[in-house]
Amino acid sequence: MATLDELMKLPGAMAAFEFRGSGELLEQRIAYPERINESTLDLLAHMCAANMCIATMQARGWEKVTHMKGFYPIQECTLIGFDWSVVVSGLDRERLKDKDRGKTSLPPFTGVVLANEKADYEAAFATMENPESTP
Amino acid sequence: MSIVTDLLAKPGVIAAGEYAYRGDRFSYRGTLSDEHARMASIMCRATTMGVNMESRMLEAFQTRNGLYPPRGWVVHGPDYTVCVMANVFCMLDNAQGSINDMIGFMRQALAKVSSNLI
Repeated sequence: MATLDELMKLPGAMAAFEFRGSGELLEQRIAYPERINESTLDLLAHMCAANMCIATMQARGWEKVTHMKGFYPIQECTLIGFDWSVVVSGLDRERLKDKDRGKTSLPPFTGVVLANEKADYEAAFATMENPESTP
Repeated sequence: MSIVTDLLAKPGVIAAGEYAYRGDRFSYRGTLSDEHARMASIMCRATTMGVNMESRMLEAFQTRNGLYPPRGWVVHGPDYTVCVMANVFCMLDNAQGSINDMIGFMRQALAKVSSNLI
């Protein structure tokens, strides 16, 4: 699992967080507390949890209807705002489901808030997908 | 050239299109059927509306947060990525294209588009 500290090393990282599928914020790192605080991250985590569910449903439906493969499961979901972006991943949950179906306690989602000017989305995806490959 | 034409010229882009926020029109180019393009435009529009609602809620809770006004969203699958900015969507083959380049291009090309959903 990509650790929050690894995510905070990404260019432009402003905050990193973990949250449950219910949206509950579990843990966070914040680089600029005057710009983004725990309460904001809590609301953001609930939004991201909802978005991951909707995106997963859409990808599943899209693949079923079109027979195009390669959209499901959603690996990362990103919201792009005027100055910031937030990238969230549930890939570890999918890996656990594949490996150990029926397990009731899934790992948390991870997320990172990035400043758009410095954001490297592919690096964020790579950190979330292959944390061992990051420096 | 339209932005859809520009997007289709980029490596890895398999389809791109535009939709009206009010949901009555869409256009596209690329390797999708008309029906699948219609479905894609409906899903992209619905998600964009949701993202806008979320961003406004976040702004109401904490003003001057950098996620407002919203510009777009991206979903990254194992082989394909859907990238939406304003009312423009594109589908990218992950192995052929660059997500960073795509987001950067769309952000720049659509920077002056109003964030009002009309």
